[in-house]
Amino acid sequence: MKDYFSLQLRLTNRKLQDAGMLPLVGYLLLSIAFIGLSLFLFYKSKYAPYIYPFIALSFITPLSEVRRNEFLKTCFGDKKYRTIRLLENLTISLPFIVFLLFKMEFIGAGALVLLSLALAISNFNAQLQFTIPTPFGKKPYEFATGFRGTYLALFIAYALAIIAVSVSNFNLGVFALLMVFAVTLSYYAQPEHEYYVWSHSYTPTRFLLNKIKTAILYSTLLAAPLALLLCAFFFNQAYILLFIVAAGYVYLGCIITARYSSFPHEIGLAQGILLALCIVAPPAAILILPYFFNRSVERLQPILK
Amino acid sequence: MIEIQHLSKTYGTKQVLSDINIRFEQGKVYGIVGENGAGKTTLFRCIAGLENYAGNITSSMQPLKNHLGLLLTDPFFFSKITGKEYLQLLCNARNIAITDMDSRNIFDLPLEQYADTYSTGMKKKLALTAILLQQNQYFIFDEPYNGVDIQSNIVITEIIHKLKSLGKTVIISSHIFSTLSDTCDEIHLLKNGQFSMSAGKDGFGLIENEMKTSGVGNKLERLLLQ
Repeated sequence: MKDYFSLQLRLTNRKLQDAGMLPLVGYLLLSIAFIGLSLFLFYKSKYAPYIYPFIALSFITPLSEVRRNEFLKTCFGDKKYRTIRLLENLTISLPFIVFLLFKMEFIGAGALVLLSLALAISNFNAQLQFTIPTPFGKKPYEFATGFRGTYLALFIAYALAIIAVSVSNFNLGVFALLMVFAVTLSYYAQPEHEYYVWSHSYTPTRFLLNKIKTAILYSTLLAAPLALLLCAFFFNQAYILLFIVAAGYVYLGCIITARYSSFPHEIGLAQGILLALCIVAPPAAILILPYFFNRSVERLQPILK
Repeated sequence: MIEIQHLSKTYGTKQVLSDINIRFEQGKVYGIVGENGAGKTTLFRCIAGLENYAGNITSSMQPLKNHLGLLLTDPFFFSKITGKEYLQLLCNARNIAITDMDSRNIFDLPLEQYADTYSTGMKKKLALTAILLQQNQYFIFDEPYNGVDIQSNIVITEIIHKLKSLGKTVIISSHIFSTLSDTCDEIHLLKNGQFSMSAGKDGFGLIENEMKTSGVGNKLERLLLQ
């Protein structure tokens, strides 16, 4: 069992090293990002105590996937397997529980502990037996596959927008709109398999422009109903919503080009820092987007020549 | 036509392909055989332009990669992509508009299901359908018969015959020699990064014997004696 957890630690360290950073630095940055984002969420929304445990659960639920659990059971036997599952669920939820306790949200913290324990004794098949329909079938794949993995997050975003309208909370509406774009950005976080890139009979420039065009079209499909609803009820602040939509498009362009600027590898530390800079200071995208675009053309040239 | 001249490929200090020279003609089927690690897949990846290499690879239709259908040994599928979306994706990639996808589903695959839930054979058939829909001129099939049921084996063999009659160039690797002797015009034995033997239909038996001799030899006796 000890071997299992030291192996997990080694794998995590390896991922951080692959992203171009020392593990210790990686853990430090992750801790800072975790605390910063948690504080931001609680500062921005009064519904944070309800949203927060769900965010924690989204990290825990993938561990209950059936095939993974069958493998663990075969390796360790029933008793050790249960202990491993309890420990890994509690390890992942611990930072969230500590933060909830720090915020005096004792009910939320208690509920998260109970849910983590409950999920440790339940397995479910992450692969649903039915196909979730999407409107993105004409131009697969990022939005079609991404939507199927994140429809719950999108549902929550839409629900938050409706709550924002019903309680006249513009900030909550803004958060919901940002959430839609954050979800769509996640569709481009992983590198594309070389075979699919190779299959295209396009030049690198045309390939990238097509990707960006599709991303803008399909993200509009997801964000427009929400943005229009918020515009209708917060008409005086519509310009802020339009700015967020425009920024969302720019971020999509940035993440797509960042993705191929390190092709065929994952987005590295340098690209991550530049992306973070874009988010903190959107005007920086004026320089960063063309830089990523040119780098992507260079990286794609050998395979799309 | 695809012409390969003085093709060499190294990974670090390991020489995988060494001075390969071969010409693949239009309307012919070529078999590439060799042990695991002989360099068959590397050769295919070089032809496809997925690897850097030394030497020249030219073709009558340029650029080669835009007219080439590549069936990988173990096709990769994104999680939660349906069979239909996979076909659409690969057709979009070559600007091919397909309106009647269901009638083109010759292997009767469950196209509305997620492709990563398919069996090994079904995945292979889906990948094969996609490259056939792309209307390529050249085809590389890396182990097309792996994991495929016996009926589909027959269908794949018929597809290869049909492609040949349509004037396409087909290159196949397979560990099942009989499938190659049924379909190929020429078979080339790849050994230590070079073609050690090549033969037309009349000489297939020689290549099979050579593979048996070098592949099996007295290894069974050595194993049983231990």
